[in-house]
Amino acid sequence: MSVVADRKLDPILLAVLSNRFETIVREMENTLLRTGRSAVLNVSRDFSCAVVTADSRLLSAGDGLPVHVIGMDRLARNVFALHDDVREGDAFLDNDPYLGNTHPADHTILVPVFVGGRHLFTAVAKAHQADCGNSEPTTYMPAARDVYEEGALIFSGLRVQRDRDNDEDVIRMCRRRIRVPDQWYGDYLATLGAARIGEARIVELCERYGIDRVEAFVEEWFDYSERRIVEAIQSLPAGELEGVGSHDPVPGAPEGIPVKVKIGVDPAAARIRLDLTDNVDCVPSGFNQSETCAINNAMTGVFNSIGGDVPQNAGSFRRIDVELRENCVVGIPRFPHSCSVATTNVADRLVMVVQKAFADAWDGYGRAEGASGMGPGSAVISGRDRRHSDEPYINQKIAGCQGGPAGPEVDGWVTYQNAVTAGLMFRDSVEIDEQKYPIRIAEVRIRPDSEGAGRRRGAPGARIGFGPRFDSLIAHYIIDGYRFLPRGVRGGLDGTRSEARKALADGREIELPPISEEEVRPGETLIQHTSGGGGYGDPLEREPERVRDDVLRGFVSFARAREVYGVRFVREAIEAGLAVEESATATLRARLRAARE
Amino acid sequence: LTGDRKNRYRIAIDIGGTFTDVVVSDGGEMHVGKGVTRRERAFPAILEGLEAAEPPLPVGASQCLAAADLITYGTTRAVNAIVEGRTARTAFFTTAGFPDTLLLREGGKRGRFTQIEYGDPYVPRYLTFEIEERVDADGTVFRPLEEASVLDAIERVGAAECDAVGVCLIWSVVNPRHELRIGELLEEGLPGVPYTLSHRLNPIVREYRRASATVIDASLKRLMQAHLRQLEQDVRAAGFEGQLLVTTSFGGSWPAEEAIERPIYSVGSGPSMAPRAGIAYAKAELGLEDREANLLVCDTGGTTFDVSLVREGEIQQAAETWIGNRSTGHITGTRSVHVESIGAGGGSIAWIDAGDLLRVGPSSAGADPGPACYGRGGSEPTVTDAAVALGHLDPGRFLGGRIRLDAARAREALAAKVAAPLGLDLDAAAEAVMVVATTQIVGAIREITIAQGIDPREMVLVAGGGAAGINAVPIARELGCERILLPRTAGAFSAVGALYAELISEFAATSYAETRSFDRAAVNDVLDLLTAEAERFLARLDGLATSDAGVQFSVDARYPGQVWDIPVPLPTPRFERGDDVEALERAFHAAHRRRFAVEEPGRHVECLTWKARAVASPVRSQLASPPIDARREPVVQSAYFPQFGRASVPVVDGASLAPGRRIAGPAIVSEPTTTVVLYPSSTATAGRHGSYLIEVGSGGRR
Repeated sequence: MSVVADRKLDPILLAVLSNRFETIVREMENTLLRTGRSAVLNVSRDFSCAVVTADSRLLSAGDGLPVHVIGMDRLARNVFALHDDVREGDAFLDNDPYLGNTHPADHTILVPVFVGGRHLFTAVAKAHQADCGNSEPTTYMPAARDVYEEGALIFSGLRVQRDRDNDEDVIRMCRRRIRVPDQWYGDYLATLGAARIGEARIVELCERYGIDRVEAFVEEWFDYSERRIVEAIQSLPAGELEGVGSHDPVPGAPEGIPVKVKIGVDPAAARIRLDLTDNVDCVPSGFNQSETCAINNAMTGVFNSIGGDVPQNAGSFRRIDVELRENCVVGIPRFPHSCSVATTNVADRLVMVVQKAFADAWDGYGRAEGASGMGPGSAVISGRDRRHSDEPYINQKIAGCQGGPAGPEVDGWVTYQNAVTAGLMFRDSVEIDEQKYPIRIAEVRIRPDSEGAGRRRGAPGARIGFGPRFDSLIAHYIIDGYRFLPRGVRGGLDGTRSEARKALADGREIELPPISEEEVRPGETLIQHTSGGGGYGDPLEREPERVRDDVLRGFVSFARAREVYGVRFVREAIEAGLAVEESATATLRARLRAARE
Repeated sequence: LTGDRKNRYRIAIDIGGTFTDVVVSDGGEMHVGKGVTRRERAFPAILEGLEAAEPPLPVGASQCLAAADLITYGTTRAVNAIVEGRTARTAFFTTAGFPDTLLLREGGKRGRFTQIEYGDPYVPRYLTFEIEERVDADGTVFRPLEEASVLDAIERVGAAECDAVGVCLIWSVVNPRHELRIGELLEEGLPGVPYTLSHRLNPIVREYRRASATVIDASLKRLMQAHLRQLEQDVRAAGFEGQLLVTTSFGGSWPAEEAIERPIYSVGSGPSMAPRAGIAYAKAELGLEDREANLLVCDTGGTTFDVSLVREGEIQQAAETWIGNRSTGHITGTRSVHVESIGAGGGSIAWIDAGDLLRVGPSSAGADPGPACYGRGGSEPTVTDAAVALGHLDPGRFLGGRIRLDAARAREALAAKVAAPLGLDLDAAAEAVMVVATTQIVGAIREITIAQGIDPREMVLVAGGGAAGINAVPIARELGCERILLPRTAGAFSAVGALYAELISEFAATSYAETRSFDRAAVNDVLDLLTAEAERFLARLDGLATSDAGVQFSVDARYPGQVWDIPVPLPTPRFERGDDVEALERAFHAAHRRRFAVEEPGRHVECLTWKARAVASPVRSQLASPPIDARREPVVQSAYFPQFGRASVPVVDGASLAPGRRIAGPAIVSEPTTTVVLYPSSTATAGRHGSYLIEVGSGGRR
């Protein structure tokens, strides 16, 4: 690659303008966070913003979630293809999973940005809704056989504003069909506001630097990003990898949903090819990937494996090819199959199958698997609030945490949640949740010995419990990692199983099915034991001092330290002076190794 | 001033990690000195600073102390103790079920695809004790306090030899009964062991923030008590008979006893003084009234560029301050002056990444080895090196001549690490480093101004800190600020701010109320309670305050469904009539529109935390006029400016400039603790009180 040759723009402007675009996206994000009304936006931060070029290439994605940002480009391309009269002042609403959106609960606002009469960029804000009009009070419909049973209002590139005025017909329609309409409308305003802020700032930027220079910048920035990924791919070994995994059994797939990927890593050509075509057909339930999700989750697995410092935009995307086929559960969904759960669950599995394939092939690369799914700890809850004259409420609550996978150098991230959000989302405050909704959270605590042990260990899972304060509530949840655990790699152990449970009013604790819409009555507590992440490498190679720290953290018991990590302490008592007994540890480790053969 | 008061001194001290800044005002002149910070004791560095003051004090250090009526003291000691792990071994008492609050924090990892190590909790899990109790959101007791669980925890705390206890129970801010009872049991069971109750320290909703504040505070109590008592002893022994005040993260100061009681408020107190200094200079030099002061206050040091905001005379506050990185460090949880720290100080390192993009920071050469031009073994090019290569710093007079800069080393480092890989000549490479650093700073400033509905073009940029003058002009131009105020004492900016710090204490109580069903009597009870606390604080000031002491009220409020509240000043100190509630609603709509560009008129407002802020001004000293030494002649130095090229430009000694003198760029004004780089078409005018007022001009753009 020639690197410095044929540069059209001075290197200073490249640094300046890339920074300015990132600042614009962060300003959009801040607007959405501070003005959003539902907890899933203003607490959990389940939204993303981006700037896309007029010809629909992703330029800048701020702190957006992995599952949201890759594919904003495809969505924009498809939406603008529908309209030949796009003009300044327009805003489009889209949540169509057959048209490039992720899943129907992600309402996306696209604002075309005009400068000097030309459509130059598009400001995009995507926000997960507290409700999207599904036939049941949840934004994830696992059992929906098709889009009709799913029931969400689907907007296919709908012009929701012309000349900056709402299409009030659509607003009225949404107010009739989306639960807690004031909450939806507040979130709509917040999302629209974020896109409009982006529009204003981009116009200012173009006026300040001139359209020509900004356009030149865009091409240079893509070239720069391409150089970065070329460099990253060239540092990988060459190989044809294969990854296989499976989501737990679900409606329409009683044995689970297998996920397969073939990966071609070609450092000489500096390309990575992902082939997802050898997967089963669409399933008659909500677990189908949308096209955008299939692509972005496979690519997330790649970015997790080549280093996160490579810019993620249309420039670096040039070097990754994803092959999909039509009517495929991880491919292009055939209408009217439902994609209601496209952003989690199978999506998490897809990310992890890819990163695990890298780890399986080469030590020092890829990652283990982490927790996945949306169990009771992150259920969508609904009911009525007697504190406010029985007003209805609905929202996805994210009070717990699920364990992240180990990498070759770093232990798993504790508040990881799942592969598609990778710890970027925020956790709810117990007090804020209890103030907003008539619930009582009973506990949130780390689950000891739930980590996938390894040279680097997965993060532990947690035990989360909550119930209603006054009247019954309904909780919709979809556990994954109940049957097929988060797998360790290269001798690292699996994370523990994720389970749903309920403490009854009489104190008994029973196990619940992994996928359910559960009524929780006063006096009852809905509980999840979340998975820990899988480990990376042999636990007997873990530095004993790290095991000691884990014991003091309450992550690992003395018994597990001995039996799994082969670490002995001078005295097994939880105290600041806890010390590893080195010779006994070496002896024990030798014995455990010998016992394996 | 009466003849009697004329010889009374006021002393402000800012203890930093390396240097201790001392500023003395005698009502006429301001004397600034530096001493070398000692780890264990503050006093030796203070003495050094007094002895080294410029211009020299007319009396010796101990006479000065004996003749001083006020010392305002700021220190980074609390923060350093936390970072270095030298705080007390602290236990955490939490509601049963929530032992991992400090571990889990609030999520929000940065970096989509990068793996980073998770941060340990402030208090280790084995010193965390679950207390059997539970209060609900409305304050009703769901599960009564089981005292046996407290007594058991107390016994184990004693056995584990903890020196402090932080207590934070769920919903204690609504019903503090259980926390108060635990306080009694701690007094009995662990007499003399300092403890902090969360509802008293920081009554905010959000258990992680409150718990974090509580345990940090408890862990600092013994240390700060010993430190401040030692200081008090030392200055008393030297003959000081006046009042000792300690600066706070509020941007004010309070008596030493209060700081010992709530030491968390000394965390971040140094940087919080910068906007105070900014206001003092803006008022003196620009003749601004309080309400007219809209300032962007910069304080540039070796590793960071700190920015804070003053809006209509009010220093902007923030609720989120982290020790360490966001989401892996520890939140202080207390409202404090909003200081945005950007990793683009003088020591920030410039490098080329794998795609040939020029980057600046976040790595810093620090003070040791420091930039390449320090000649102490540093080989990486820094922002300071770029300034030296461009001819923007006078190598012989940097930091008052304390460090002689080696321009050849700066050029070497830039040539090897920036110019060659980018195929640029040396001047273009150095310019590129300055531009990239400036862009990062401008981006961060835009985030805290425009994103909050503040237009930087309406603000005056106050450039404090030793390195601020290097790129103040391009920063201002890029932001659209027309004017810069650069104080000569920029190098001791926080200490100057401390001299002007008001006596401030804030009291808060959480009491949920909605404007659509407003219980005026209940809210008034809360406000009465806060008023009483605020007045008790003012009464304790012991005659220090002037007659304009007062109490301001505000409430943190939001629209239904929102969870991020914004502070709104109360239009009336009590709610006597329905009209008063409507006035509050209107004030909220306006505040929301100002910040987020939208409002929802007709919608009711949720009120959460009520606050009373007691403010009193100490007797003010005047900013003095510095002596002029017109004999100092300018020298000439070769310097490079973008779109202008290389030229011989004058380097003017600041001490030679009489008030009103104008210097037109390109030029460099050299001061003992700072340097002013005047880009072409900018001009600087010497002010009456030792500052430079810079008109930035167009610079060929805009």
